[in-house]
This record gives sequence, structure tokens and C-alpha cells, in this order.
Amino acid sequence: MAEAVLEVDSLTKTFQGARNASVRAVDNVSFSVKQGEVVGLLGPNGAGKTTTIKCILGLVRQDSGSVRVFGGDLRHTYPGALRHMSAVLEGSRNLYWRLTVEENVRFFAGLNGLGLAERGSEFAQLLERFGLADKKNVEVRRLSQGMKQKTSVVCALARRTPIVFLDEPTLGLDVETSLELRDTLRSYSREEGRTVVVSSHDMDVVQQVCSRVIIMSNGRVVTDDSVAHLIDLFRTRTCTVKLGAQAGEGQQQSPQQQPPQAATSPAGGGPVEIPPELAAVLSEEFAPAEVSGSTVKVTLADSRSIYRLMDLLKAEQLPIEEIDYGAPDLEQVFLEIVRRAAAGANEGASGEATRP
Amino acid sequence: MKPGVVLRVILMRDLAMMKRYYLNTVSSLVTIYVVFLITFVGMRAFTGVATSLAGSDTLEATIVGFFVWTLTIFAYSDFSWGLINEAQTGTLEQLYLCPLGFRWIGAFTIISNLVFSLIPIFVALIAMMLTAGRWLSIDVITLVPLIVISILGAVGVGFVLGGLALVFKRVQSLFQIVQFLFIGTMTMPQRLWWARLLPVNAGFGLIRTSMIDGVRLWELPLGEVAIALLVGLAYLGIGIGVFSACERAAKSRGLLGHY
Ligand SMILES: Nc1ncnc2c1ncn2[C@@H]1O[C@H](COP(=O)(O)OP(=O)(O)OP(=O)(O)O)[C@@H](O)[C@H]1O
Ligand SMILES: [Mg+2]
Repeated sequence: MAEAVLEVDSLTKTFQGARNASVRAVDNVSFSVKQGEVVGLLGPNGAGKTTTIKCILGLVRQDSGSVRVFGGDLRHTYPGALRHMSAVLEGSRNLYWRLTVEENVRFFAGLNGLGLAERGSEFAQLLERFGLADKKNVEVRRLSQGMKQKTSVVCALARRTPIVFLDEPTLGLDVETSLELRDTLRSYSREEGRTVVVSSHDMDVVQQVCSRVIIMSNGRVVTDDSVAHLIDLFRTRTCTVKLGAQAGEGQQQSPQQQPPQAATSPAGGGPVEIPPELAAVLSEEFAPAEVSGSTVKVTLADSRSIYRLMDLLKAEQLPIEEIDYGAPDLEQVFLEIVRRAAAGANEGASGEATRP
Repeated sequence: MKPGVVLRVILMRDLAMMKRYYLNTVSSLVTIYVVFLITFVGMRAFTGVATSLAGSDTLEATIVGFFVWTLTIFAYSDFSWGLINEAQTGTLEQLYLCPLGFRWIGAFTIISNLVFSLIPIFVALIAMMLTAGRWLSIDVITLVPLIVISILGAVGVGFVLGGLALVFKRVQSLFQIVQFLFIGTMTMPQRLWWARLLPVNAGFGLIRTSMIDGVRLWELPLGEVAIALLVGLAYLGIGIGVFSACERAAKSRGLLGHY
């Protein structure tokens, strides 16, 4: 098993606002990240993603809790431990706009002690990779938003730290540029085996780039799981069954042979409708469920629920045309989790977090 | 970590910036010169202005006064202005991610500012000497150490202002006030025993002696040099202390960014 390169333990940060109003931006957050993992930090605005990242980087001082990087407690290893971490920070320029792309890369890599002599060709490769090679002598202020953002990412990567934080790397980019940047990030992080923490409120970014996602809401971690598992979990949770037309000729001609609650098929061999009695049973057993005509959408409580559903439908000899397990994207999963976390918080429950 | 690489990239950054902002450099040069010119012309009319600026009524002393005053302003204001700018644009947090720690970045930035401001200030000095038709002794071996010693105090003040800028953001108006306070602290007559304890005062006295009377470094009274050095170091220490306290406050309120 790969060892944890980053361990965050019970991190808490409260900001003192104006007139004694205080915001608990980060509330008892704990997680750890292994070597080579690409982790998404997902959450709505104000969830505490940026504050968490800045606490880890020592840019914001936490009230309590600890951060360990490669086993060393930052309280003792700071600022030397920064040789392990670089970051692109949200909303900041992260760059000198009056310097050229290449001057920026050299400068920020230099802050980590990397001289041009040993890294020159590597910088060139990075610029090439992110499509900035022909812009290297252009002042950053003359670049498009997307190019600026890419330059920030390149400057962070050029520092050659084993851990990289990217806070909202695709914020403000158009769809195409965002897709392109994600693509590069994904392939780059895979090849390099670097540990990357990407924060975003754009689920697509996390779904595409990350293998694991930590969902934050109101300063707390509400879920920490693999992206694949989360999507799986929710895919099997809802299931839509569509009924077809009655198959057997005989059955059509002798409706009296059917059980009392037989399905009624409209004339012309259209799909069978779900009888109201069955609809009532389904609504009760698989709540929340939606029954409309020949389609039923149910919620499955566990992995066995699907068999129970099939049993019920078979008992009625209903012709199943199609079963659709739905393919929720992370967005739905995310909204659902945040909704439930909020509901849980309102009831005073705190330990809603699911951990792998 | 290699501090040398960090110093080098900071120097390269500032060189590139200076090239790109050369109009700024030229215009600040011209400003220094014009202010001197006004004083120079005014001095012929009212010797009093010169007296207040140079602490003596000789033309040479006025030129030296201008020279040291300009250096002082550059030394404290470049650093704190830079800090305000970088906090606003968001590069400050990146500088804080340097594994050497921000102290070093701060020190290197000050060194770099000094290196790059010495050139235009010397150009202005030569222009002033040409205008006045008086030649002062510029003995680099004596002058450079004296400059370093005297601006230690100014750098200390720069750290204080920089720290305040981190926390309170709007301190620009303080800059102007401090700029003129420096004239007072520099030129406070040294017959008052406490005058030498003011920032830049003792160092300025030594620079005056060296430039006007052509005294070399090793010919200067050792006690005076020691006082200038100790006072400078004390201000630097106080400045760094205040800066650290402000930095802590800024980090706990999340103010290093552009918040
Ligand atoms: N320096 C600060 N001073 C006061 N409050 C702050 C500060 N920084 C953040 N906050 C507050 O802390 C909470 C968490 O903010 P944070 O920026 O960490 O959220 P986020 O998840 O990054 O949100 P976003 O998606 O908008 O970037 C918010 O309510 C924010 O207003
Ligand atoms: Mg944020």
C-alpha cells in the first residue's frame, strides 16, 4: 500500500468577521492522501475548500488540528516542507503579468531552488505540453484568460514538488478551454505519478481528472470516496423499468386467464400499464417511486431490492421492455449528498460522513 | 535549497521589470532631479530651506542630503509598496510558498531593490553635481558600506510599514508622512545626544563626512561607525519583529491573499 504523503487531522478554522460575526470555514476536517493519488475537493461556494488548502500550505493559520506532509508535522517542518508542495490559488493571478510566460516559469521554479541550467529542457517540455510554447516570450497580461490559467498551472508544476494543489483551475474558462486543460491535467498527473489535489465546484472537472473525491459542505467533509464507487453507489440506487406490449397471442385473446389484477393493455398492442394496486405496492416498498403509465421509477434500498422488484413484476406477468439503472453523473451524486448533509445538520446530526 | 538561485531569480525578475517599466525609472529620476533643482534655485534665494534639508548651509551638504534621502525613500518604500502590490495581485501568496521562508524573499527583494535603485540614484547624483558645479568624493569602498549601514534603519521602517500594509491594506498615506519624517530624523543636529538614535541619522553624518571631506572608511571614528551600525541593526530588528507580528495576524485572518 502506498504511504500517505498528506495527512490532515481535525483541521478547524473560524474567521472572525465584522461585528463579531464568525464563520466556521473549516470544521474538524480530516483526510489523508496517498502518493500518486489525484483527489478532488468538491463543494459548493463557501464550503471551505480554499481555506482548507491555504491552511495546509500555511498561508492561513488554523485554530486547531494538524497537517503532516511526508510524515512531518508542519508546525515543526515549516517552511522547509514547502519543497513538497506547490499550488495554483483561486482568484489570484499567481503570476507577474508584466513578465513573459517563460520569465514567470523561471522565477517560480527558482523559488524552489531550481535553476535554468538543470531544468531548461524540462520547462520547454511543460510549455509545449500545455500549448504555450509559441507564447513563451509574450507578457502574461497579453494572454487570454485560458492561457493565463495554463501558465499558472505550468508555474506550479515547474516547481517540481511531489504534491500540487490546484484551486479551481478551470474557473472562468470557456467550455472548450476547460476541457482541454482537464485533459492535459489528467494525462499529465497519470504519467508523472504526482499527488494532485484539485478543488472545484464543477463536478465534471473532478469526475474527469480525479480518482477520488472529498466532498465538503459547510466546512465539513461529508463524503470521502472513490469517484467510481460513488457513481456506482448512486447508479444502483435508482432504476427505471419500462413495460412493453403483451407478448403472447393467447394471453391477449383470453384476458380472463389473467389474475384479477391483470394489466390492462390499451387497444393496438401498446405498452402495458401498471395496475393501480401494484403501483401502490411499489410506491410503498420502493419510495420514493414514480409510476406513470407503463413506466416506473423506483429507489432501491440495497442490492437485493432489484430482485424483489423483479419478483413483483413477474408475479403480474408484466412484460419488461427495458430496465435502466440510470447513469447519474457526479453532479447528481454531489447535490444529493450535500442536500442530505444539510438535512442532517439541521437535525443536529453531525456524523453524516461516509468514509471508505 | 539553494538561496543563491532564489537571489538570482529575484534579481532577474526585477531586472526584467525595470526594463519593462523603464519609463517609471526615468520619470522617478527626473522627479528627484527637478526637486533638487527647485531646492537648488530656492537655496540661492533663501538659504534656510537648504539648512533644514542638509543640516548645514553648504551646497555640498544639500547634495549629499538629497542623495541619502532618496536612497532612504527607495529602501523603505520599494519593499512595502511591492508588498501591497503583490498582496493585491496575488503573487504574494506564491512568494510565501518558497521553502526558504518569506524572510529570505524579503531580504533578497530589499537587496535587489537597492541594487537597481542605486543606478538611477547615482545618475541623479551626477546630474545634481553637474548642476551645482561641485564635485564630491565618491569612494565606492567607503560609500557602499556606509550606505548599507545607514539604510538599515530605513529598511527596518520599511518592514514596519510592510507589516502594517499586510494587515490594514490602506497605508499609502502613511508613506508620504514617513517620507518627510525621514528628513527630520536624518538632519536632527548631532549635538543633541539622542539624535544619533534616530533612523539614518548617524549613518547620514558619516556619509556626509566621507563625501564632503573625503574621509576614507578606516579613517572614520570607530565609535561613530559602531553607533550607526548598532542603531541601524536595532531598527532592523524592531522592523522584523513588527513585521512578524503583523504576518501572524494576517495569516490568522486570511489576509495574505487579496481578501
Ligand atoms: N479571509 C477571510 N475572512 C473572513 N471570512 C473568510 C475568509 N476566507 C474565507 N472566508 C469565509 O469562509 C468560508 C469558506 O470560504 P472558502 O473560500 O474556503 O470556500 P470555498 O469552498 O473555497 O468556496 P468557493 O467555491 O466560493 O471558492 C466562506 O463563508 C467565506 O466567506
Ligand atoms: Mg474557493
